[in-house]
This record gives sequence, structure tokens and C-alpha cells, in this order.
Amino acid sequence: MIVGITKKIAYFYRIRFLKWCVVFSLLLLTAGLFNFQVIQSWQYVDLASRNRLRILRISPPRGNIVDANGSPVAINVRTFNLCCYPIELKKGNNMKVTADLLARYGVSMTEEKLEKLVQKQYSAPYRSITVATNITFSQLTQMIMDNDFKKALFPMVVWKRTYPARSLAAHVVGYVSEITREELQTKAEGDYVGGDIIGKNGIEGVYEDILRGTAGEEVIEVDAKGRKVRDISYTEPKKGANIKLTIDLEAQQYAAELIGKYRGSIVAMDVNDGSVKCLYSSPSYDPNPLTWGISTEEWMNLTDRRERPMMNRAISGAYPPASTFKVVTGAALLEHGIATSHTTVNCPGYFELGDRRFRCWKHSGHGKENIIKALRDSCDVYFYDLASRMGIDKLTETAAKFGVGSKSGIDLLGEASGTIAGREWKKKRIKESWYGGDTVNYSIGQGYVLMTPVQILRVYSAIANGGRMLKPRIYADAPTEEKTLDISSEVLKLLKVGIVEVGSVGTGKRASAYGVNVAGKTGTAQNSHGDDHAWFVGYAPVDKPRYAVVAIAEAGKGGSAVAAPIVGKMLNYLLNGTVTKTENQENK
Amino acid sequence: MAENGLKGGEQQISNGREAFTDGTSWRDIRSYTDCVMLFAAAILFLFGLAVIHSASISFYAPGDMAVSGSLARQAVWGIGSAVIYIAVIKTDYRNIMSVSAFLFVGMVIVFVLLLLAGHSAKGAQRWFDLGILRFQPSELGKVIFALALAKFCTLFPLDTLKGVLFSFCVAGLAILPIMLQPDLGSSLVYAVMFFAVFIAAGAPKKLLFGLIGVAAALLPLLWFAMKPYQRMRMMVFIDPSVDPQGAGYNVIQSRIAVGSGGLLGKGFLQGTQGKLHFLPEPHTDFIFSVFAEEFGFIGCVAVLLLFGILIYRILNVGEHTKDASARLLCVAIAAWLWFQVMESVAMSMGLAPVTGIPLPLFSYGGSSLIVVSLGLALVQSVNIVSQKSKF
Repeated sequence: MIVGITKKIAYFYRIRFLKWCVVFSLLLLTAGLFNFQVIQSWQYVDLASRNRLRILRISPPRGNIVDANGSPVAINVRTFNLCCYPIELKKGNNMKVTADLLARYGVSMTEEKLEKLVQKQYSAPYRSITVATNITFSQLTQMIMDNDFKKALFPMVVWKRTYPARSLAAHVVGYVSEITREELQTKAEGDYVGGDIIGKNGIEGVYEDILRGTAGEEVIEVDAKGRKVRDISYTEPKKGANIKLTIDLEAQQYAAELIGKYRGSIVAMDVNDGSVKCLYSSPSYDPNPLTWGISTEEWMNLTDRRERPMMNRAISGAYPPASTFKVVTGAALLEHGIATSHTTVNCPGYFELGDRRFRCWKHSGHGKENIIKALRDSCDVYFYDLASRMGIDKLTETAAKFGVGSKSGIDLLGEASGTIAGREWKKKRIKESWYGGDTVNYSIGQGYVLMTPVQILRVYSAIANGGRMLKPRIYADAPTEEKTLDISSEVLKLLKVGIVEVGSVGTGKRASAYGVNVAGKTGTAQNSHGDDHAWFVGYAPVDKPRYAVVAIAEAGKGGSAVAAPIVGKMLNYLLNGTVTKTENQENK
Repeated sequence: MAENGLKGGEQQISNGREAFTDGTSWRDIRSYTDCVMLFAAAILFLFGLAVIHSASISFYAPGDMAVSGSLARQAVWGIGSAVIYIAVIKTDYRNIMSVSAFLFVGMVIVFVLLLLAGHSAKGAQRWFDLGILRFQPSELGKVIFALALAKFCTLFPLDTLKGVLFSFCVAGLAILPIMLQPDLGSSLVYAVMFFAVFIAAGAPKKLLFGLIGVAAALLPLLWFAMKPYQRMRMMVFIDPSVDPQGAGYNVIQSRIAVGSGGLLGKGFLQGTQGKLHFLPEPHTDFIFSVFAEEFGFIGCVAVLLLFGILIYRILNVGEHTKDASARLLCVAIAAWLWFQVMESVAMSMGLAPVTGIPLPLFSYGGSSLIVVSLGLALVQSVNIVSQKSKF
């Protein structure tokens, strides 16, 4: 009996133990549930919604770009992508039917190609894939009438960028294409996704944020197999804002004619507000293939030739400014008191520095020259002599004020800053001291100094408008930005007199032969690779300047013969709207 | 007096083998039924009905709130189970216990037959097709096993070598054929029942620890006995990302369902994981995930509390009965339900490997429901008899 009782107590404890086991294990389960449902819940809520929601991004149409007169420069064309679900294609003989349908309507497609396409894009069974692109509206309407269309395909609207002005404004407007992986990484999270279109150059690139618009979003709920169950939300994409340019397409057209086969560029700017009326780089290219899909051969033509059509020579081409630089040297001489309006230098046709002899372009010499005559005749010796006495440091100091070596700030991508050079620059780059001969060359815009056409244009605009360094702009709604040129107005007036004489009786008088009197300066830049580059930069009207124009023709030999007429004709067009055709042009 | 009464109670069992009782009177049933146990089970069943409804209707036809086929069938099974529940109580567990040896022999024969000619469902032979009902003998076997274990372990006490060996033979006869089917989940349920009875029957502690040691040593051998799909389940249990679109998919999706339920749940019929078929078999194996998604942590705690009360009460009945075999019967049934709850809930969180073990009273399916109500009825009967003998 005692045994029975102890046994009974033993059972009692054993069952008690089991009870505790039950309580403890259920508490453990509760703790587990607490972990997943309370502590980590947010994570699983997110996963659950990603499970069931598919977010389809709807690309917005980009804003249009129009020229100063409202003519279209960049617009959108509605095209269609044909998409389908791989699961649908695999049903029955849909693969064959669809391939045949596409082939019937002019899309090169076979069953094997389609199968490969499916395999390549097959990541999730119910994610749609694209089987054909660039389908036009009329093509689509024909295809939709076909009974086979509905079996697997459905259309998606894709806005394709088109440039009606083609090569006329290519360097200004730039182009768009699919965002690259590198670009994607530089953008803020969520701003862009792979496959988005982004402006790559020119206005498309600079004003991407304005033109782009806001992507729309369609959220649908799907089941475990990816089938659409219902719509959750739809946000309309917002079209990007339109942009109006200061550029005049007709001026671009005229510039293309004027420069003809020369490599080079023509830039025209309003000297009062910095708006660029014309910016043409030759040779140009058609940006349309870059957005619609480009063949390897086309791409080779665009990039690999020595013509380099994609380079915007107006802002990226750094050339020796040659004689156009003499206004800068002149300003330095006058500002630093090395010369006054009365200071004269005798030009015997050469200048000797030590045992080196630097020739004037006119070997017979100009005789006695003051600053105005030196500019008019483009006498090299005047500048050689006085600049040597002044030294390079003062010269670069003044050059920097004119924006030499710094970007003009024009609203385009890829602007070069040129080279201002100087003692330290030379020591660093060439590991040599600055010699007197370097200053001599520098004084007439040769040697180490390099400038872009836009930089030179800015210098002459500032002289024309009395000392305002304008930031060139192409976006019509951009504000005018300017800096005051730290050069006394007396000096600027003297320079002005000099370049007015150039246009009336000096080396640039050919520029004034086309209806308007032009003030300006010729330049012939020595080119170690071939014929000299021809420069002319000028403005008009002389008494009340409105436009400044720069032209450079690479290997054009003479500034006065080739470049001056281009500038004269362009100024005539801008001021009077007249297009001049001369035999000079046909000759090229 | 009290000692006499105690002795009298023990006398009764040894007699119980020979003599059939007349069954329990309606008056006794009315007076002594443990209502807490009954209501806990009933509420769990009703919860289960709600979740089965939720898991069966889909978003494809949001307006269609008609009673789904699964819900209707489960309700019919519920009524059937209630009838069986009452019938078992009326019969008196002692009458059933007295034929448990025959039932056990019959069960082993059926298991062996099943191995030879069962229907294959997902690679495992578990079903007997009886026309309208595809019956799963390993489910009914749980009750018979509980009865037989209780009986044999009382007849041959576990403090003798003979008793231990005999009990091992009994357990082995039941578990081996199920393992060979292979139905790993069910065989684990049997093993847990066996172990719990071992503890409750007063097996020496040395033996208990030895058993744990042997089980741990045999665990690696189990790997070789497993079919490839079972191995995959083990693999994805350890790391679901091994096969996120295949075997690991269930584990990941189920955990997402449970976790996304949050504190308060998404609301009845609002669970997306179950509704959109991200959860496989939402109304059977993964029913707790569906429930957890819609009712959240609060709902889960409520259900666990109900199960806790139910199992605790079962053990209580075992604790207070004077009949040693009835005590072991209660322990076996408690262990069975406990393990299935543990496994189902832990599996829904990805904390246990995926097995096809149903959540008692919750999961859709006739065999499981009927067998659970059989077990609960036996416990209730023990309760009524022991309560009655108290007075």
C-alpha cells in the first residue's frame, strides 16, 4: 500500500512535468510568433506586398524643344512595343502563330528567334517580355485586326524622340538614349530605373530635369502565378515641360551653307543678353539613329573618323586664337601702362629677341604703328615688342579677365576651357621655364594659348557692349547672367576703334562687303598638322552693336579671305534677314 | 476509507479487462462533462471553419461569398464528429479499452496491407480509398495506438525488462510500417506519444535518457531512409534559399504570411498570401499560416491559449483518474495533439521542417477531425468515469 502511494506520487510528478513541458513549449511558440509577427513584421509586410503587387512604370513623354520661331527641334513620336507573356506563348502553337504573324507584318521574326528571345528575357514566368519594337500606329492597327494578334501579344506605347531638324541643330539639341549602368549609379535612388531614357548631350542633357517629366505608375495585384487579379492604382505620367531655344533654325541652315565642307564652326550671339542665335559645328550628324537604334557602321562613322562629327567644335574645339587675341594683348598693354594710344613701335617686318628673329606676317614691315593701326593692320611686331617688355605675367592676368582658360558657362555639355598657360603651367606640364620667345608667340595668340570659338566670341561681345562678360545661353527662359569686365572703358573704347578700322579699311574689310559694316578681327592660326585655320570674329552694327559672330574654318588658310565673308553674311542675315549667295561660296 | 476507495478504483481496472460495463448514463454525462475541454475544442473547430472558408474562396470573384465546398464538407464532418464524440462517451472508454488489443492487431494488419496496395499521394502511400472517403489509416491508428499503449504499459509495468521490451515491440509494430510508407510526420507523432507514455508510466530515468541518446544517434540514419523530396524539405528547413522557387518556396511564403499578419492581422478574408495562392495547400498543411496572416499575433496567441487549455485539461484528467491505463491514455492523446500543434505552428514560421501533419481541429479533412474527436471523447469519458467514482 505504501508502495502504491509512492508510485501514485511518482505518476503525479511525471504528469506535472509533462504539463510544464506543454506550457513551456507553447510559450516558446508564442515567442517565435512574437518575433515574426511583431518584431520583424515590417519586413514581411513589405515582402507580402512585393509578392502580390506588380508596379509597372509608365515612361512620360519628354517635353518638346522648339527654336526661337517655334519650329520643332525635338519632338516625340508615338510608337509601340509588342509584348507578351512567355506562359501565353508556350500555350499550344502560339509560338509559331505569333512568329508568323509578326513576319506577315514586316517584323523579321521566326519561331526559333522568338524562342531565343523568350529564353533570354525569361526571368519570372509572368513578367511580360518585348518581342518587337518601333511598331508604328498604322502597322499596329493592321496587326490588331488579325485574329492571331490577341492570342499572345499586346501593345505598349513607347514615345520615341525624333529630331526633325536632323543635322542642323545636332550639337545644340544633343540626343537621348537608354540610361547606362554608370549613369544610373550617379542618380538618386528611385529617380531612374534601368531602361529609362536620358538626355545625353546638348540641351537634352543639360535640361534633362525640365524635359523629362514624371513617370506614371500602374499597380496591379497578381496571384502566385503572376496573373492579374485586379487594378490597385494608376498614376498618369506627366509630360516634361517644353523648352524654347534662342537658336534660329534658319540661321543654323544658313550657317551650314556658309561653312560648306570646311570643318569648323559658326557661333552667333546677342551681345546684349547672351542669347545664342546660331551655333553650328561642321561636320554635323543626324541624331535620330542614336535614339532609334544605331548600326555599328553608323556608329563607326560618328566616332572613328578624323572628321569627328559628334564633337561640338564651337565649345569643345580649342584652337590658337591667333590674331583675334591681339585685342587681349592690346588691353593688357594699355591697362598696365606699357602703351598709350600714342605709343608707337616701328615695324621693320621682324622683331629680334636675343638671336631669334620673329617675323611679322607682312615681311616688308608696317613702319610706325600705334595700337589702333596695329590692330587694323594686324601688325605682329607691335605686339611682339611691347608684350616682351611687359612680360607674360601681366599678359595672362589680363587674359584671365577676358575669360581665357575658363569655360564660358554656356548651357551645353562638354565645353572645353582652353589653355591660358603661363610660367607655372609650363613648368608643370612641359617641365621647362618660360622663355621670352614664348611671350612673343603668346602675344599674337600663338604658342601655348588655346581658346574655343565661344570664348573668343565672348571677348568680342564684351568689347562691343562696353565691358559685360555675358554667359552665353541657348535656353530662351534662362536668365541673362553676366560679369563686369575689369578693364577700363577708355581701353575698351580704344580697342573698339581699332577693330572698327579692321572692318572698314583693315584686314577684315571683306566682312563688311555684305550689307552691314562689321567691326572685328581676322586671325590665321598656324596649324602644325596642315593648312592654317581661318578665324574671323566681329559684331554689327558698329555704332550700336547687336550681334557678334565668330567663324573658324579649319585649314581655311586665310582669316580675311575665308572666315570674314562668313561672319559678314551671317551678321547681314541676323540684322536684315537677307541671305547672300556669292561665287565665293560655290567655290568651296 | 479514502484508502479503501483508492484500492477499489484500482481493483476496477483489473476487472475492466474481463467485464464490459453497461456504458455511461445520460445523467452522468450531463453531470460530469468537462465543459472547458469541450468548449475549447468546439471554439477551435469553429475558428478552423472560418479559416477554411477564407482559404477556399478567392479574389477572382469578390462578390461570391457563397459557402465553399470545403467549408460545407468540413461542417458535415464536424457534425459526424460530434455524433462520434457522444457515441464514444456513451459507450464508456473502458469498453473500448478492453478490445484495444484486437484493434491494435487489426491496425497493424491494415498498415501492412496499405504498404502493399495504398494510393500514392505525393509520393507517399497513406490513403485507403473507401469511395466517398479517402481514409487515412495512420490517423485512426493514433487513437488505437494510444489505447493499446495505455493498456500494454499498464499490464506490463515499465520497471521490468519484460515490460520495456514489450512496449518497444508494440511501438515498433505501429511505427515501422508508417515510416516505410513513408509518412515521416505521422511516425514522429507515434514516437512522441510513445515517449510521453514512457515518461508518464514511470519508466526509470536511466531508460528515458538512454532512449533520447539512441534517438539522437539514429537521427542521421533517418536521412538515408528519406525520399528525395523529404531530404529537400530538410535542406530547405535549414536554409530556404537553397531552392526558393521549389521546396523552399513554401517555407518562405508561409513565413511571409505569418510575419505580414503583424500584431492585429490583416482581417478575416483579407489575407493576400493565402488568397492569391502564394501559400500551397492553404486549408490543410498551411492552415495556421492563413490564420496567422488574417488574425495576427493576437489571434495566434488566442488559438495557442485554447490549445494550451485543451491539452492541459487532458493532462489534468489523466492526473486525477485512478485508472492507470486511463492515465496513460490521456497522456498519449495529449502528446499526440501537442506534437501536431507544435509542428504545425513551428512549420508555419519555418522553424520546423515541412511535414503533412494537420493542425488538430483546424485543418480541413475528415479523417483527422473524426480521429481527434474520438481521442477527445475518450478523454471526456475518462473524466466522467473518474468524476463519478469520486462521489
